[in-house]
Amino acid sequence: MARRFGMALGFLAAGMAGAAAQGWQPSKPIEFVVTSSPGGGTDNFTRMIQSIIMKYKLIEQPIVVSNKGGGSGAEGYLVSKTAAGDPYKVIFGTNNAYLLPYVAKLGYKFSDLTPVAALALDEFLLWVKADAPYKTAKEYIEAVKAKPETYKMGGSQSKDTDQTLTSILSTVTGAKFIYVPFQGGGAVGTQLAGGHVNSHTNNPNESIGQWKAGQVRPLCVFSPARLPAGPKVTETQGWADIPTCKEAGIPVERFQMPRTVWLPAGTPPGAVQFYEGVLKKVSETPEWQEYITRTVQTGQFLSGDSLKAFVANDDKLSREVFEREGWIVK
Amino acid sequence: MDGFSGLLHGFGVALTWYHVTLMVVGVLLGILVGVLPGLGAPNGVSLLLPLTFTMDPVSAIILLTSMYWGALFGGSTTSILFNIPGEPSSVATTFDGYPMAQNGRATEALSFAFLSAGFGAIVGVLLITALSGWVTQFALKFSSPEFFGVYFLAFASFVGLSGAPPLKAAVSIALGFSLAAVGMDSVSGSLRLTFGFDVLLAGISFLVAVIGLFGIGELILTIEDGLKLDGIRAKITPRDVLRTAAQMPKHWATLLRSSIVGCWMGITPGGPTAASFMSYGLAKRFSAYRANFGKGEPDGVIAPETADHSAGTSAMLPMMALGLPGSATAAVMLGGLMIWGLNPGPMLFVERPDFVWGLIASMYLGNVVAVVLVLATVPLFASILRIPFAIIGPLIVVVCFIGAYTIAGRPFDLWLALAFGALGYAFKKLDYPIAPLILAMVIGDKAEDAFRQSMIMSKGSLTIFWSNPLVTSLMLLGLVLLFWPLIGAMIQRLRSARA
Amino acid sequence: MVARWQAELGMAAFLAVIGVITITGALEYGVGWSPSGPEPGAFPFYMGIIVLVASLANGLRAALPLLRPGLWAERPFLKPEQLRLVLGFTLPIFGLVVASLMLGLYVGMALYLFGTLVFQNRYPVLKASLIAGAAPVFAYFLIERTFRVAMLKGPLEAWLGL
Repeated sequence: MARRFGMALGFLAAGMAGAAAQGWQPSKPIEFVVTSSPGGGTDNFTRMIQSIIMKYKLIEQPIVVSNKGGGSGAEGYLVSKTAAGDPYKVIFGTNNAYLLPYVAKLGYKFSDLTPVAALALDEFLLWVKADAPYKTAKEYIEAVKAKPETYKMGGSQSKDTDQTLTSILSTVTGAKFIYVPFQGGGAVGTQLAGGHVNSHTNNPNESIGQWKAGQVRPLCVFSPARLPAGPKVTETQGWADIPTCKEAGIPVERFQMPRTVWLPAGTPPGAVQFYEGVLKKVSETPEWQEYITRTVQTGQFLSGDSLKAFVANDDKLSREVFEREGWIVK
Repeated sequence: MDGFSGLLHGFGVALTWYHVTLMVVGVLLGILVGVLPGLGAPNGVSLLLPLTFTMDPVSAIILLTSMYWGALFGGSTTSILFNIPGEPSSVATTFDGYPMAQNGRATEALSFAFLSAGFGAIVGVLLITALSGWVTQFALKFSSPEFFGVYFLAFASFVGLSGAPPLKAAVSIALGFSLAAVGMDSVSGSLRLTFGFDVLLAGISFLVAVIGLFGIGELILTIEDGLKLDGIRAKITPRDVLRTAAQMPKHWATLLRSSIVGCWMGITPGGPTAASFMSYGLAKRFSAYRANFGKGEPDGVIAPETADHSAGTSAMLPMMALGLPGSATAAVMLGGLMIWGLNPGPMLFVERPDFVWGLIASMYLGNVVAVVLVLATVPLFASILRIPFAIIGPLIVVVCFIGAYTIAGRPFDLWLALAFGALGYAFKKLDYPIAPLILAMVIGDKAEDAFRQSMIMSKGSLTIFWSNPLVTSLMLLGLVLLFWPLIGAMIQRLRSARA
Repeated sequence: MVARWQAELGMAAFLAVIGVITITGALEYGVGWSPSGPEPGAFPFYMGIIVLVASLANGLRAALPLLRPGLWAERPFLKPEQLRLVLGFTLPIFGLVVASLMLGLYVGMALYLFGTLVFQNRYPVLKASLIAGAAPVFAYFLIERTFRVAMLKGPLEAWLGL
């Protein structure tokens, strides 16, 4: 009881602080631009946030969600250029916001976007077919090294996170894969379950069903620490039982994909603060926590300088890979 | 739990007042988005998605799938009455549905469409009910070479049928494939044929092309002939429907063949749109009244509708059991599944039998509800057709452009719709076939991706296309269908030589 | 009067240009066969070739009457009467697109409906205004309110704060 009262006080205080900083407030409907097609990871992320905002009435104005997933999401980010300075266009995406302009000739630059926040980090795991002979990630990598360019690594899209990770993996271990790009994590998962590729690096959420069914098996997670223990996924194992790749002897410290929110450049700082505040509140709701746990992402709210630092670091890492692979277009 | 007992359990879940109300609401909303070109089932379903986050997953999926069925039915209505496909998968329905309506047989065409669609849907669900385990195993055998085989088969069964001059057909097909290549190439990750124009980044939507080529192009033709959109009397009486229903058994061969094609394309998954084209092509090929196709042949309505719906329903199986969406709408539902906390995969059937079998049972009920409701809306559309062309013509134009814009919210698509309208008109007048162009736009991208993925896997060796019995038979069947006219002629010659 | 062969020739020329554009676009990305299969440009390249070659052939066939006058010359494509009807229908659509891009779809459709009803079909101004006014309002409530899809808007909507 006392705790609940305390929380209510906290909310009240937050509300008053908000009222004190009463800067920018939306005065007409807001458009949430999704940089993926309906049903994609970014789409779920956006619609989850939209439904939480609606439920808690965090924004009074109506919200319209529109999918602009063309060109791997570039179509959505282009809104930042065509609607420069418009605080009513909020763009939802991943790290491809700053990575896409490297690999394709696009009409926008990263500087056309104003960072607002990142709400979650999606994890990557190394998966093999359940009946594959490899017990550990190390064993699998050794097998790949023994026969270079015969093992197939499936992934979604080309020159995107999956292929970047595959490239990093090849560089640090010397194991050479054939990378096969498919359309989306679901298709990749099925290809592995059917034995048409040897491994993939799907997000937990994309392959949990197949793991449960004993079709595929994770070897390691590309995260600095093990995933939080939840209920067991299979009879014997849960997420926390998967070693980190570093533990498993693969020197890749971390590879995570941030789920990010942007505004067009030139929007008033007050608007940036407003959305930052709203998203912060979203990230503190029980619904959001539940969504994060269910989809096995890592909930981490980044904004302002912490976000900038993360982006700079991620950008540098990926850029090195792109340069090495010769993907960068001039 | 499987088969019959599961289904009984499912009916127990689905047959509550609440769920039946959801079905009715879903179907009605679906008919509405289905009728509007551009605003299709994927849009409709993703708009409802946030509303379902607070619902029980079973209720949520019943609402969403019912909307999907409604949209599939609604799409056929406008195809037949206005020659504007409300849904991509009802493009093939225009080929014979619209001529039938023009000949004053709108009621018949609509009844045939809805009844055969209902039939196809039920076959699709029956398949899921009876063979779910086996089908899932089968679908796992599919990789890129097999996918290429599926698209090749769909393509081969449709082309070479239009009766258009071969050189013009070749232009149409190649143009369709070129248009499909515009935008991001997912295999190489580079932009193709965009010439630095940002508006081409997302590619050229085939839906915009359809709105232009069919909707606006057809309107211009109507105007030129000085014809008004009259003569289409679609007054539906229960007797007319019953009379059409009584004729259905006569078309058993088409119904059966199209259901098989639809289920095949739903599971593999090749998609409902490709299924409807393939089924139309096969129906024409095997029909005794081939010359009648395109002029209002009932089989030409029955075939695409049956295949479209059996593909739509059977695509739910790979979605649930493999996490593999067989259509754009299934992709959205898959996203929903994950948000509701369900993990698609074979274990879904074990862990959440209430969800799986509730959904399957609701598919039986939902489609019956949809057939009844959609028949009930026909008088409404019939009354629209009685409005003078002076008003309805411009209104259709407006609806087309609203549709073109709402597909992706791109202003540029308005220009594209207009350009495709002009192109469609000129193509029609100069005997360039339009349907192969659309089919090429639909499957071009996917077929090319599958081909190149196969090449990456085999390190550039074409032998991968006959590396196992499955892909070999797909390719052989495709080749036979592609060269069927030649083979047929040869058999004929042999026969007459012997005589 | 536009003769059939002229229309055929025009269409073939147009498509040939499209073919050339496709080919040039495809050449940017390599059209050969790399160790991992066809390069990104290969597929559109060959499609462009087909469009170009088939269109040239179609064009040649269409141009035959130039060599042998009287062969197709009397086959009309569009009679003047029809041309008037077609232009009368398509030009306002062109106007609709331009107006919609400048003023938004709602205003565009209202202007278009009003224009075609009053000037083309001689509807009384009152009746026409009623239809032209009701359509955008209906579309707004159906699409933007019910289905929550953003529509192309212009200055009027900005002024109204919608």
